[in-house]
Amino acid sequence: MAGLELLSDQGYRVDGRRAGELRKIQARMGVFAQADGSAYIEQGNTKALAVVYGPHEIRGSRARALPDRALVNCQYSSATFSTGERKRRPHGDRKSCEMGLQLRQTFEAAILTQLHPRSQIDIYVQVLQADGGTYAACVNAATLAVLDAGIPMRDFVCACSAGFVDGTALADLSHVEEAAGGPQLALALLPASGQIALLEMDARLHEDHLEQVLEAAARASRDVHTVLDRVVRQHVQEASVLLGD
Amino acid sequence: MLQKREKVLLLRTFHGRTLRIVREHYLRPSVPCNSPLCPQPATCHNDGKLLSSDVTHYMVPDWKVVQDYLEILEFPELKGIVFMQTACQAVQHQRGRRQYNKLRNLLKDARHDCVLFANEFQQSCYLPRERGESMEKWQSRSIYNAAAWYYHHCQDRMPIVMVTEDEEAIQQYGSETGGVFVISFKNYLDNFWPDLKAAHELCESILQSRRERENESQESHGKEYPEHVPLEVLEAGIKSGRYIQGTLNVNKHRAQIEAFVRLQGASSKDSADLVSDVLIHGMKARNRSIHGDVVVVELLPKSEWKGRTTALGENDGDDKALGESPSEPMPTGRVVGILQKNWRDYVVTFPSIEEVQSQGKNAQKILVTPWDYRIPKIRISTQQAEALQDFRVVVRIDSWESTSMYPNGHFVRVLGRIGDLEGEIATILVENSISVVPFSEAQMCEMPVNTPENPWKVSSQEEREREDLRKTHLVFSIDPSGCEDVDDTLSVRALDNGNLELGVHIADVTHFVAPHSYIDIEARTRATTYYLADRRYDMLPAILSADVCSLLGGVDRYAVSVMWELDKTSYEIKKVWYGRTIIRSAYKLFYEAAQDLLDGNFSVVKDIPEFKDLDEKSRQAKLEELVWAIRKLTDIARHIRAKRDSCGALELEGVEVRIQLDEKKNIHDLIPKQPLEVHETVAECMILANHWVAKKIWESFPHQALLRRHPPPHQEFFSELRECAKAKGFFIDTRSNKALADSLDNANDPNDPIVNKLLRSMATQAMSNALYFSTGSCAEEEFHHYGLALDKYTHFTSPIRRYSDIIVHRLLMAAISKDKKMEIQENLFSNKDLEELCRHINNRNRAAQHSQKQSTELFQCMYFKDKDPETEERCISDGVIYSIRTNGVLVFIPRFGIKGAAYLRNKDGLVVSCGPDGHSEWKPGSLQRFQNKITSTTTGGESVTFHLFDHVTVRISVQTSRCHSDTIRLEIISNKPHMTPDTELLQQCSLLLKSDLVKEVTRSVEEAQLAQEVAVNITEDYQKYCQTKGRSLYTLLEEIRDLALLDVSNSYGI
Repeated sequence: MAGLELLSDQGYRVDGRRAGELRKIQARMGVFAQADGSAYIEQGNTKALAVVYGPHEIRGSRARALPDRALVNCQYSSATFSTGERKRRPHGDRKSCEMGLQLRQTFEAAILTQLHPRSQIDIYVQVLQADGGTYAACVNAATLAVLDAGIPMRDFVCACSAGFVDGTALADLSHVEEAAGGPQLALALLPASGQIALLEMDARLHEDHLEQVLEAAARASRDVHTVLDRVVRQHVQEASVLLGD
Repeated sequence: MLQKREKVLLLRTFHGRTLRIVREHYLRPSVPCNSPLCPQPATCHNDGKLLSSDVTHYMVPDWKVVQDYLEILEFPELKGIVFMQTACQAVQHQRGRRQYNKLRNLLKDARHDCVLFANEFQQSCYLPRERGESMEKWQSRSIYNAAAWYYHHCQDRMPIVMVTEDEEAIQQYGSETGGVFVISFKNYLDNFWPDLKAAHELCESILQSRRERENESQESHGKEYPEHVPLEVLEAGIKSGRYIQGTLNVNKHRAQIEAFVRLQGASSKDSADLVSDVLIHGMKARNRSIHGDVVVVELLPKSEWKGRTTALGENDGDDKALGESPSEPMPTGRVVGILQKNWRDYVVTFPSIEEVQSQGKNAQKILVTPWDYRIPKIRISTQQAEALQDFRVVVRIDSWESTSMYPNGHFVRVLGRIGDLEGEIATILVENSISVVPFSEAQMCEMPVNTPENPWKVSSQEEREREDLRKTHLVFSIDPSGCEDVDDTLSVRALDNGNLELGVHIADVTHFVAPHSYIDIEARTRATTYYLADRRYDMLPAILSADVCSLLGGVDRYAVSVMWELDKTSYEIKKVWYGRTIIRSAYKLFYEAAQDLLDGNFSVVKDIPEFKDLDEKSRQAKLEELVWAIRKLTDIARHIRAKRDSCGALELEGVEVRIQLDEKKNIHDLIPKQPLEVHETVAECMILANHWVAKKIWESFPHQALLRRHPPPHQEFFSELRECAKAKGFFIDTRSNKALADSLDNANDPNDPIVNKLLRSMATQAMSNALYFSTGSCAEEEFHHYGLALDKYTHFTSPIRRYSDIIVHRLLMAAISKDKKMEIQENLFSNKDLEELCRHINNRNRAAQHSQKQSTELFQCMYFKDKDPETEERCISDGVIYSIRTNGVLVFIPRFGIKGAAYLRNKDGLVVSCGPDGHSEWKPGSLQRFQNKITSTTTGGESVTFHLFDHVTVRISVQTSRCHSDTIRLEIISNKPHMTPDTELLQQCSLLLKSDLVKEVTRSVEEAQLAQEVAVNITEDYQKYCQTKGRSLYTLLEEIRDLALLDVSNSYGI
């Protein structure tokens, strides 16, 4: 069997999307009553849950408290059933720790932490199904959860991945496309200002193409923003209806 | 806008489990239809190539039609073709990339009137595959559905013809939608393109070839070899006795035809009788097994048994058994399965350009020829064939499918040019799986330091623990000149009670090599120092082997000593002592010098460096002391030897050749090595030490001592020896080692000393190999060493160059501490581990011997290569016939120590005949072989007979071979002995050598220059390896004694 054709001559990807199209995004806020904020997101078949607690007093060692801002604590885990082959360790492995750190960097850039000195904000993210772009799904879910918790942010943080195949940048890679081994870039964007909260790529990509891939990822992130914005507005509307005024 | 659907795929994972994968599948309302009839071209985004508008119908080929008749669809006459995405994907997955790329190019080509319709991404065309629906059915259904949609999309204005090979589909869909017709491809061509001759013809030929392929695969399923039987069946078959398990051994001289399976458990010569070997005749019966594999064999019925051939074979595979009769039929079988593949790295040669061209245009796959005759050709795919033509290359075999004539392999690395010394040596190393990388930094860090600034010293702690022999004993070593790695020294002195004390002091390597240290692990892998004809690869780094461990003269060194107290007159052993000592060797003597001292020839004194700075008087005193010691030692050795001889120790002969290189390292001459009595003296002391150490470690560790045994040989192997001897009128009694030794001594022809030598070397070949073993895995009666006539024997005296000796040293140290009731520090190997280690060491030793033999042959060939056999006087020599075959004789040339085959019948069927003056010519005639002679009769009635042990004159030439090693070729040019001084006695060798040297120098300048060019780069390499010249003759003698000589009988096609 010949190798998979990631982008056909007619411009279709393996799953029928065109180069710049996102997968279907569905999201809900406030899925858990107990937490301060929570959200669930599906980007294609990638599914993630995010839960936010805080801001609250520093738990554990007081020494960790920061005098001028809040401590953002992020934990990433993925369910054992999330991948094709069953995982052994749901959390605490190298990859999860790295992902936790990246999430923390992203949200320290977005949350107005100086409003809550000497306190802590916990963000827990769990991936239920991993089908490519887990980082992006986590960031998007966490954004909604933070908004749900009512913690002030500079802006939405919207994330999307992008890849590069045969001279074309592909937005929002699926697992099949990721597994093919080409370069992949993850971008977290503050859409209003266009500032980048996090940019990560660990493959080789020619400098000349970076601009193009970055542009594709940014455009996809803005598209994600429109979807998320709609979700938030809808949620707020529903909530206000329930409050009954 | 996009609709999301999910596709569920069931994949089989690598481990054989079924995995359920869910993939997304997005559908859209509009995809480009690329038809000019499209009602809303804007929503369809028809911006690419459009179908032409002047067609009568659109044609939609089925997936099967696209796969099989793409060549016809490429005809420019065929217009208005709509390829459905479903069909294209079927091509991609089932026909491979080439066919798919053809299709893609077709779609891109603007001249062809065809388009692709992405039906699977269109929301009303997409049909999910139903449960249980076959792939083919679903593809047909999708394509038909898309065709129907397309028809309606074009507002029913253009009829659509779906072409399919599936009769069922024609039945099912034929009348479902008006305007969409479903017909077969043949029908389509007949109806719509009756005039298109070429298309019809092509269609016929495609059908034809497909039918042929189907027939073929029904007959043999396209297979060259039968499939292997599954493992469980094999195991059950072996248990029930239906199958036989053994190691495959390919006959080097008939690699295409003959292979033998040696039954498991029976090593090379230990098998009870030859009948236990199973013949595998032909490549088909060998069924993809390669030399060395452990295979399972099924015996054929008796009527199909075949015999082995006895003619001298040539590797060209043209031995059509020239009218000869094969020997008795023997059990014949075929391989049904392979239990263990013993694939290693193989050295191969690429075919020359002409051969590549004859192999056809498909030049990406190339058949390369392995250096080893026994390995089949290997198919390699590479683009570099031309660049690699003149090189020796390492390849690995990847697989051997039953559908393939030859195994598939891949290129690994380049060794060197063909014919270049370094390249050929590297070839020999790879072929024997010897890897000699330089010692790593981590390994070198463990080594002691000994530099002029920071000299190595005896530590005070060791001084306390060790016996100090520096003041009390006169210790000296006897080695070949130029030897750097002195691992054994001797001492002898008179004790106060009048008795004698004999001491053997061996370098204490284990003091520096801690168990399981890096250097220990490395030494264990190497297992031995590899001696090639011109160089050596050390087991231990030079700092140990040539310096700190080497028992050089005049410096303090650690040693492990064995000392015996002997009765002053009878030399009976009264007491023995083992232990660690500190010694300072007083003299580092050469064999020749020691022999001269022993003979009372004191002229060599000035050559001994130790005597240089002494005044006359003390020199005299010292000299007397030394000469007394050597004499005493020789005396003792003679005595011990006599005692061993009375038990039946064998003295056997193997001819070894030393290669003499000149300053530019060109090969100058080949000199057979000569024995002196001193050699024997030293060897005897070493055997004594080995024997006593073996006794000691076995007593202390009865289940985990490493000993060396030499099993008694099988009588059948002696039959050839007995017959040869009978030809000369001798009787060889082979019933016991004692009888054999005696009768060999008696079989001495006063006119021809070579006869005795040959008989001895034939006896050697008939022997089994000596082996290391762990005492726990063998019954005690099997410990016996046949050749040395000792009940227990081990290797203890050369720890610098043998790993077995290191193990024995550790065992001995543990035994000493056990005697002293001290804790055993060394962690010894258990019986099982030791047995495993012994197997490894035996293996490596065999590789070392093979590589040594091959490198010697290489040098022999290089020596004769640049000599013109027609004119060069040295290429004509005297030879002795030592074996008779149906089409030739085997000849031994004492002058060079070469054994080889001389044909009496050449390839044209002519036979040798000799005129009255003895000179031979090729003439038509016939050969007749008798028990110990062969007669060649020409059609003219002349006849000439060659008897065993006849002296003949042979011309030595080199048969060059591109893919394999060069071989020496002998040609009988006269049936009279060659009368030159060098045939008389070997003692005159040195005389002859000098004249040769002069001749060499006066060779034409041109030639010398040529040689120099080649030599320059080699010389540097030689200097890099800076080695001791020549190896210790003691080694050589010991090897012969250990009867670990190679199975030469195999090498001449017997």
